[in-house]
Amino acid sequence: MIKAVVLLLAAIAAPMSSLAAVIDLAPPTDVMASDMPNDVGTQMKVIWDLSPDDVTPRGDAPRRVTGYAIFRKVVPTPLGLESTAEAAADASEVGFPANFDFEYVQPVGSVAYGNSEFVDENVEREMTYLYAVIATGPRGSVSPLAQAETPVTAQMEYFNGGKFWFLIITLAISLVIVLFVLIAKRGGTVKVRPIAGLEAVTEAVGRATEMGKPVLFVPGILDINDIQTVAGITVLSNVAKTSAEYDALLKVPTARSLVMTTARETVEAAYLGAGRPDAYNEDNIYYLTDEQFGYTAGVQGVMVREKPAACFYMGAFYAESLILAETANSIGAIQIAGTAMPSQLPFFVAACDYTLIGEEFFAASAYLSNDPEQLGSLKGQDIGKVIAGALLIIGCLTATLATVTPTKVFKVTTLYIKDNILGKDGISLDQEKVTKIDIELEELTADPNPRGGDS
Amino acid sequence: MSDTPAIDPEQIKVILATDCGSTTTKAILIQYVDGAYRQTHRGEAPTTVEKPFADVTMGVVNSVTEIGELAGRRLVGDDGRIISPATETEGCDIYISTSSAGGGLQMMVAGVIAEMTAASAKRAALGAGSIVMDVIAANDGRRPHDQIQRIRDLRPDMILISGGTDGGTTDKVVQIAELVAPAKPQPRFGSDYSMPIIYAGNQDARDAVSNVFDEGGFDLQIVDNLRPVLERENLGPARDKIHDIFLEHVMAQAPGYDKLMGWTGAPIMPTPGAVGDILQTVARLQGINVVGVDIGGATTDVFSVFDETFNRTVSANLGMSYSISNVCAEATMPNVLRWVPFDMDERELRNHVKNKMIRPTTIPQTREALMFEQAVAREALRLAYKQHKEFATTLKGVQQQRTVGDTFSQETGGMTIVNNMKLDLLVASGGVLSHAPRMHQTAMMLIDAFEPEGVTMLAKDSIFMMPHLGVLASVLPKAAEQVFDRDCLVYLGTCVCAAGTPKPGKTCFKYELSGSVNESGEIAGGELKLIDMGMDDRATIALTPARGIDLGAGPGKKVEQEVRGGTVGLILDGRGRSLSLPEDRATCQKTVQGWLDSLDVYAQEKEAVAV
Repeated sequence: MIKAVVLLLAAIAAPMSSLAAVIDLAPPTDVMASDMPNDVGTQMKVIWDLSPDDVTPRGDAPRRVTGYAIFRKVVPTPLGLESTAEAAADASEVGFPANFDFEYVQPVGSVAYGNSEFVDENVEREMTYLYAVIATGPRGSVSPLAQAETPVTAQMEYFNGGKFWFLIITLAISLVIVLFVLIAKRGGTVKVRPIAGLEAVTEAVGRATEMGKPVLFVPGILDINDIQTVAGITVLSNVAKTSAEYDALLKVPTARSLVMTTARETVEAAYLGAGRPDAYNEDNIYYLTDEQFGYTAGVQGVMVREKPAACFYMGAFYAESLILAETANSIGAIQIAGTAMPSQLPFFVAACDYTLIGEEFFAASAYLSNDPEQLGSLKGQDIGKVIAGALLIIGCLTATLATVTPTKVFKVTTLYIKDNILGKDGISLDQEKVTKIDIELEELTADPNPRGGDS
Repeated sequence: MSDTPAIDPEQIKVILATDCGSTTTKAILIQYVDGAYRQTHRGEAPTTVEKPFADVTMGVVNSVTEIGELAGRRLVGDDGRIISPATETEGCDIYISTSSAGGGLQMMVAGVIAEMTAASAKRAALGAGSIVMDVIAANDGRRPHDQIQRIRDLRPDMILISGGTDGGTTDKVVQIAELVAPAKPQPRFGSDYSMPIIYAGNQDARDAVSNVFDEGGFDLQIVDNLRPVLERENLGPARDKIHDIFLEHVMAQAPGYDKLMGWTGAPIMPTPGAVGDILQTVARLQGINVVGVDIGGATTDVFSVFDETFNRTVSANLGMSYSISNVCAEATMPNVLRWVPFDMDERELRNHVKNKMIRPTTIPQTREALMFEQAVAREALRLAYKQHKEFATTLKGVQQQRTVGDTFSQETGGMTIVNNMKLDLLVASGGVLSHAPRMHQTAMMLIDAFEPEGVTMLAKDSIFMMPHLGVLASVLPKAAEQVFDRDCLVYLGTCVCAAGTPKPGKTCFKYELSGSVNESGEIAGGELKLIDMGMDDRATIALTPARGIDLGAGPGKKVEQEVRGGTVGLILDGRGRSLSLPEDRATCQKTVQGWLDSLDVYAQEKEAVAV
């Protein structure tokens, strides 16, 4: 028993003894810290040259360097150092003490062997830090502390240069939107392709009028905070206006109380706009239940009992889409659906007369209102999509060509699109990355079949 | 209607037909010759419906007398009546007539929704040969008092009210009736007779509508709903009732028509209705799609029969004399001048146009004037056809059947049924087309204005005989078809037109003719070519279109079809569709001149012409 306790204590003591620092590794060199560019002042970047002991061992010998630990020290000057010269002069004063105790100071981070870069993401803006790096090895072996020559202050950049292209594209699209809005306002033609589903609104309401049946509008099952419901309410406004003009009865069962309130106000405004406030009856816009299938059953009941001649489904739909569309189809109603739910679109397309697909649904507002500002905005967004599409095509082409043909132009173009236009490298190419490409290409030229083999 | 006893159609050998127009009464004699019906003689006399004569039969007798003299056959008896039945040397087996005198039949129509029942009512009225003065609908954007005022201001011959499907809305239909009743519209003729109202709407609303018109002053006639369901039109009963009322009320009020109705062996028809009937008859008997156009001084009528669906439109402001100013305004002068291959002084042209408007009977005296007038005609025809395409549509408000395959190709209802690729025969009538100095000019105007696609036969109504044949078709369709084919139509030839956008100078299509004419070659993009094929020539043409070019079987697909010649010949058109002319004036002139030269359009008008 005593022997067992001794053995247990020895087992516990063994690792503790291994933590005792033994300085027997060569330190990393040229440690440099710098403020991370294009951030809000919360990141620092530390780089160094690997320790001379950070090499792949021969045979079964253990690796001497297993990683690097990064330490930092807040420089006790409230405003930091104002210039690199000052920093250099004060470095010794603010530096790590000669008897820096690795055992009791927690590093800010560590990286595995072979890495020579670390990003400290927990710094405070406007604070000045001095960084140091040690190489660590098995059984507590460490290198002497290699500290950066100068402390660095974490600073926030007001302009993120890495997103310069994003700025250019945003400005370009904004400019185009403004331009089209101005053109539309001055009576210019902003052509929007005909959207069959929206063109058919008058047809559907007309059918209901001729048949003496109501128009049923279903604004989806999600609440008003869903963008699809908002888009649906926009279409409801137009349907209500047409119904008022045609003197058709419009019914709107809702699944959310807030949607009901919004729909009531929208329909009332539409009737007022059409000069028929007397025809508005708020009881025709009512709440059924929040429960998905309870609501579905309720709407189905309306369909079967009142046999509406036109049914609109505009909003977010799930499993109830086909149930509703098939029921209305069986009673011979014209159906127009609009949703951005990809999984429900095939059901609507197959069962309804007309379906607004995704973007068409959101463009409905501009399309129906013919408002120059909305039309101009729509056109500008289209231009944005064209730019995005063009970038995609060019990117795919150059990436493919860069893979198939070892040409610098394609590789650099791909790099530029990926890291500069779509990435965070800003307007100028990262020369290090270009150098890497050059090296890769040189290697490829020297050894055109690097994988070797008889093939 | 007629005192003439019913005659066995098989025994009808001599047919006398008249068309009483506003200014001229035209008579033709059709006889059974060598086993076929042929139009043998024609006569013409001024219409006498207006004062001081105020008896339409006087003009009829005059024109018939002229025919009798020409034919050496006594047609008018001593009592001043047309002799019937026929003997060896005198009389006719049947006398028939159409009429457009006194402005023809003028109607107002009403329906619940403008694009649905009101549109069907308009189709019924137009198909019956009337002019539609206005369409009243619940959604026409006018307030009720405006609608009542409008109804009161109009003086139609009759009113057609439709609305609601059977079992559909009743309220809205009654509302329409309640607009008409208090307006108390007065008929155009005869202050002592009641305004005829035809009700062709929801059958459930009949009693309610009858109650509205109970107060008096109206002659309510109820027929079957012309839109019993939104998916189907039933225009026949409404059209028949329009014809009946036209005879009973309108014609009976016009001077001399009561006497004329006693002479005819078939009901008198409105002239445009008769034209529509003959085109429908021919389309049905020959299984073809037909478009007919009649361009007049004030209006242009376009008729079409596609897949046995008949449509007619009247473009009230497109014509070659009274409405010529409107054509120039609507089409714009640059669009008119693009068809003229030389510079013209615009001020001079405007004077010419106004002169033509105030002196409608003048005709072009110079080659330039002729070319300008034909340029205006192209634009008038183009605009009229455009209006026709917009009206001749599939029904609106119809439930669509979809599959997932329709995701990106959803089409709305109300698409035009006019398809130029399916068009087989294009018939022209009206002064500027029928009396062009050269048939080539008629053909060129038709091709430029209507832009037919694929293989299309071109023809013109030689002496505006279609109205007579329309009435004849109701009695003896076989005779009507034979005369239509042999004497009425002057076949100009066949045109083969490429649809698509051919590349200028590159091959548009290749052709190979075998039969009466044997020839092969190819047509380049932008090229026009005329191949000489006479009236009796028939040939089979094998066409191989270039990629993306459609000649009837689809883009790039070969076509083989029989073609017939005519007074012009076979026209091969590689200009593509839709037809576009260069923006630059000089280039445009050069291009148009090239086209005119290709068809030798103005070859004989080098010097001043007097048409």
